[in-house]
Amino acid sequence: MSEVTAAPPRPSLWVRYTSSSPIVVTVFALVLGLVVGALIIITTTPAVLDAWRAIFHGWDGVPHALNVTFNNVGAAYRSMFTGSIVDPQGFWHSLVTGKGWTNTLTPISETFTYATPLVIVSIGVGIAFQTGLFNIGANGQAVIGGISGTVVGSMLHMPTILHLPLTLLAGIAGGMICGAVPGVLKAYTGAHEVIVTLMFNYVAYAFLLFMVLSTPFQQPGQQNDISRTMDPSAQLAPLFGSSSGLRVSFGVFVAALVVAFAWWLLNRSSLGFDFRVTGANPSAARASGINARSVIVVAFLISGGLAGLAGVVQVASTTHYIDGGFLIGNAGIGFTAITVALLGRNKPMGIVWAALLFAALGVGGRNMQAATGIPLDLATVIQSVIVLFVATPVLVKEIFRLRGVSTASVQLATTGWGS
Amino acid sequence: MQLELRGITKRFGSFTANDQISLKVEPGQIHSLLGENGAGKSTLMNVLFGLLRPDEGEILIDGVVAPIADSGEAVRRGIGMVHQHFMLVPVFSVTENVVLGFEPTKSFDRVDYRRATEDIERLSQQFHLDVDPDAIVENLPVGLQQRVEILKALSHDAELLILDEPTAVLTPQEIDSLMAIMRSLAAAGKSILFITHKLKEVKAVADVITVIRQGHVVGTAEPSASESELASMMVGRNVQLTVEKSPFNPGAEVLEVRDLVVLGDRGLVAVDGVSIDVRAGEVMALAGVQGNGQTEFVEALVGMRPVLSGTITLHGRDITNLTPRQALDAGLGHIPEDRQRDGLVLSMSVADNLVLNTPRRAPFARHGTRDLAAVNDNAVRLVHDFDIRTTSIQGPASSLSGGNQQKVIVARELSRPLEFLIASQPTRGLDVGSIEYVHRQIIEHRNHGNGSLIVSSELDEVLALGDRIAVMYEGKISGVVDPSVSRESIGLLMTGHTSETASV
Amino acid sequence: MSLLSTRTTSKETPLVKNRRTRVIAVLMALIGIFTVFVFGWGSESRAHSSLTFTPLNLTNAPWHLGSLTVVTRWTDVVLGLVMIAAAAEVFVRQPRRAVMARFGGVAILFLLALLFWAARSPGPSPVSSVNITTILVGSSAAAMVLIFGSLSGVMCERAGVVNIAIEGQFIGGAFLGSMIVSTTHDFFFAAIAGAVAGALIGLVLAFLSLRYRSDQIIVGVVLVTMLSSLSSYLNLQVLTPFPNFNTGNLAPNLAIPLLSKIPIIGPVFFNQSGFFYLMIVLVAAVSFALFKTRYGLHVRAVGEHPRAAATVGINVIRVRYINVVLGGAIAGLGGVAFMATQGQFQVGYTSGWGYIALAALIFGRWRPSGAVVASIIFGLSVYLSYELVTYQVPVSIYILQMIPYLITIAVVAGLIGRVRAPAADGQPYLRD
Repeated sequence: MSEVTAAPPRPSLWVRYTSSSPIVVTVFALVLGLVVGALIIITTTPAVLDAWRAIFHGWDGVPHALNVTFNNVGAAYRSMFTGSIVDPQGFWHSLVTGKGWTNTLTPISETFTYATPLVIVSIGVGIAFQTGLFNIGANGQAVIGGISGTVVGSMLHMPTILHLPLTLLAGIAGGMICGAVPGVLKAYTGAHEVIVTLMFNYVAYAFLLFMVLSTPFQQPGQQNDISRTMDPSAQLAPLFGSSSGLRVSFGVFVAALVVAFAWWLLNRSSLGFDFRVTGANPSAARASGINARSVIVVAFLISGGLAGLAGVVQVASTTHYIDGGFLIGNAGIGFTAITVALLGRNKPMGIVWAALLFAALGVGGRNMQAATGIPLDLATVIQSVIVLFVATPVLVKEIFRLRGVSTASVQLATTGWGS
Repeated sequence: MQLELRGITKRFGSFTANDQISLKVEPGQIHSLLGENGAGKSTLMNVLFGLLRPDEGEILIDGVVAPIADSGEAVRRGIGMVHQHFMLVPVFSVTENVVLGFEPTKSFDRVDYRRATEDIERLSQQFHLDVDPDAIVENLPVGLQQRVEILKALSHDAELLILDEPTAVLTPQEIDSLMAIMRSLAAAGKSILFITHKLKEVKAVADVITVIRQGHVVGTAEPSASESELASMMVGRNVQLTVEKSPFNPGAEVLEVRDLVVLGDRGLVAVDGVSIDVRAGEVMALAGVQGNGQTEFVEALVGMRPVLSGTITLHGRDITNLTPRQALDAGLGHIPEDRQRDGLVLSMSVADNLVLNTPRRAPFARHGTRDLAAVNDNAVRLVHDFDIRTTSIQGPASSLSGGNQQKVIVARELSRPLEFLIASQPTRGLDVGSIEYVHRQIIEHRNHGNGSLIVSSELDEVLALGDRIAVMYEGKISGVVDPSVSRESIGLLMTGHTSETASV
Repeated sequence: MSLLSTRTTSKETPLVKNRRTRVIAVLMALIGIFTVFVFGWGSESRAHSSLTFTPLNLTNAPWHLGSLTVVTRWTDVVLGLVMIAAAAEVFVRQPRRAVMARFGGVAILFLLALLFWAARSPGPSPVSSVNITTILVGSSAAAMVLIFGSLSGVMCERAGVVNIAIEGQFIGGAFLGSMIVSTTHDFFFAAIAGAVAGALIGLVLAFLSLRYRSDQIIVGVVLVTMLSSLSSYLNLQVLTPFPNFNTGNLAPNLAIPLLSKIPIIGPVFFNQSGFFYLMIVLVAAVSFALFKTRYGLHVRAVGEHPRAAATVGINVIRVRYINVVLGGAIAGLGGVAFMATQGQFQVGYTSGWGYIALAALIFGRWRPSGAVVASIIFGLSVYLSYELVTYQVPVSIYILQMIPYLITIAVVAGLIGRVRAPAADGQPYLRD
């Protein structure tokens, strides 16, 4: 009676390939982000709009309009790529002639320079996420870390072997103090960390302006909002020597150390186990003897400390001074870090790749603005779109008709505003 | 109203929750749907109430096919449901809850509360429900909240009432008055579908009994059928409700609780001067209707809730107001009441869950770094020893069935050196096999000369496990009795009738 | 769970006095002591402060309230003592309700004392009098924007969706509003455009969090990032090359005959822009809808216990969609109103007001009326932090600008645990 039921049809190679890992969702989200970016370019660039307007005078304008569209979008994305990874022509030129390596390597060097503090702060945000805490204040913590690090780096004088570590530690301490506030308030009063950290960003900005315009810290002889410059002994030197012309600095080793620390913390340490248990199920954490308050405070100290470290690394590896526009607005790595952490699924190595991608978008965006006049804010818009899609894997699946893709979404245990 | 289900089938993925279920409820009839937890009763009711769509089969009302797309349509067709977990908004008044979704309105979409209140008072009197329309629901005792649910269904002109496990949260006396209400409703011509797994209640009130098991209808029975007959239909074999125990041989006192006072979540006294002793080799069963302070009592014992006054001593050592960590280190094992909330991290692996409360201890960690090999070895051993059915110890705990999830907790607690075991509702929602298994483990623990405290609202479980039975009512111990006393006298204690003669 | 635990009888009274209340009392007392010694004792004994009531632009009003001159030191000492008395009352009596209202009162008294001190004469300030009416009018603009924002929050959170994207809706509304008013010169169309912009952002939030159950806070925060970078992009790409799109305008005041002539109250309530009156209408409408109508009952049920609402045939997802979109529209209107008080769109000028509005919503216990009171307190502190600059207070303006944010943190920290959010707020609704 009972026949052998027909085996389910073997999924096509495409389906099997695309369903293999959550990275697929990320890749498709990236594609969607670029598509949305292209649509924004098309609808806001006068030349493109003019070309399309011409088709009202006759269909023969369509090829031209398409041409203009592709040229503009192409130029934008090409300049993003060549400005952040490598310019193929320059690369061949250098390879053949052996000259011009500085120019050829500058884009990738810039991407790494941008990514270095971004990795550090994003790992801080990711650790908080893993503990079920949303640290939206990483930017303010990075600002304070940048200030405290620059104070030590510019106003104390000592040999490198002491000065650089002390400068970095000052940044960590600044960020920790800043992170302690939302941590302690959350642990002891139940104040929602989202509101507290958000408000602290604005406090940090105001403090930054106060500092760079006040006497001991302001660059002597300056009226502008600019600080003293760090001693060379406090700076993170360029990796290939200051004569190389490449800015990528020893900060990458700091970032690598942070990645290694975070990997150990989250995957191997007892403390990280407590973090993850608390993040996944606070009630079970409590019942199994984990002290929720100390976990919250310690996680926020680590998160804030890493943000502060990122702030000082940013200063010590690039400008060596701090000004009123430091990490302001959308350029703030602390805000990008939220999206980077989500994209990297709060895992250290995931965050490294995500940070490199977003750094490339940011650096490429600068080049795009210089080359085509399209504002670099487009890069941030693209980043946000990518993360919205990554946070909504089912939507990506539906758009691309993927089946069986892991749809594990990034999710906080958001339980409203109560304690 | 006459209701007929024909061939209802509902599948979740590869799992068939309801398989070709057919039954018929006549007007004025109390029709009992009997089955153990997980037999598919709730799924069937959710299908009937439009919360789930059946994959096959049809619903007939008064002989006419009546598809039910959503619960609004179910209500319009005259079906009312009293959910196991009440569907009441705690911060709303009785009136607001009752009219919700069916509000009488005045101009500008305003709710006509005066008319609503009058309707409720009238219905309340008609069926002797005795509910104050202006009371805020969260301030009402559970029994009254349930009446609000019934009132809600009646106010929507329900002709058929579905009562889903309505007695789980009631005292024996409240159960009696519920049954009186059910009979008067039936007398008024309403049909009642009464879902339960409790044999006595079925026999007391039902006109017809349909028994389901593993999604199938296994048969119908008359209320005159014997309990053991019904039970074997329910589980498909003869059930051993008692656990084999070695003779009771109590040793020295292990746990002493004196005059314990503990506050509940809302700052009110939940445990009101409880004193209790448990000896070595003894299972003390704490009986009582849920919500009489047992939860708070246990939480205070294991350090999850501050003790306001009174003392707890373990082997003569004061363990009052420890942190949960210190309580664990003192040797208290805890099987929590809500296993998914307090006992497990569902998204983490089985192996991690098996060391959830000992992650920092050797051999699982050294100098703050975890030894994953030791964690895995431990998991392999416990999965084997405690017969945990899992495909992989690295798989998330959420992939296990409820029974196996509970086994993970039992394994974790009983595999470490314990001074005392506290188990809250250890078998709630488990299948019979798992219940027997958990009971055997608890008794084995006792037979080794350890003390335990088992909190349960299932009288059968209390009687099966307990060497002595303490009954809790409104935060106080209303009596401590021997398991040989009658169910009725325990029932009286559960309603607060302290009885000097009943205590040992 | 909560249903079951309520079984514990309610005849007992709480035995533990709330420690948090005492912390707040101590905080209030510290503020009072600070006032007595810094503002009171800190002023020169002969310094006077004067209060005036006639706004500068209405000097030809038919009424005149003279100015009131007080001795700065003793006035501030008295104000400080009142604060300390309030703190003592809270510490000793441990009132169960309205503790935070007392805290808000202390905050306002503190600001008043600060003003007296700043404007003392002889003193460092070039401005020698405190014009109460000007302050109230100035604060009312900030409060109005915050009320739009927190009202949006009430709409969304009462239905169980956390709308943290209010800031983004402000930006969207302000941007589009400025473009439309620049081209049509009509705030009516600008208001509609801003509402549509906010509603669309609300729709995206609703779509992602209701249909796909994405985390509401994450989606909200990312939406704000997106909106702020998009506005910055469009500002450079569109508004800079075509400045005609951002000429903007200040919304004209519509004086209500007679009523606008009443001293103090007139200028504050009856000589405002159309957005102010719209705000008042919206507050009344939302209160009415939420607490008197059938729809409001459904909304509150959905926010408290969505499953219970679903079992009586209420479409939970639809109610949430409607409220999030309407809430977005209200916040979008707030963005236009903000733009209309600033004159045109600027990148980044909402500087976290959307988040302060969220705090006002919590402070106001998820009620429209409470949100109004909270917004007024926050509005005062925002306005005064800018206004104090003109008094040349010997404190950096940047330190002063921290005040509203610090007050927000203090309020939220003091508050949570004593207010109850809608039970299902922020939680996705799963239909089995």
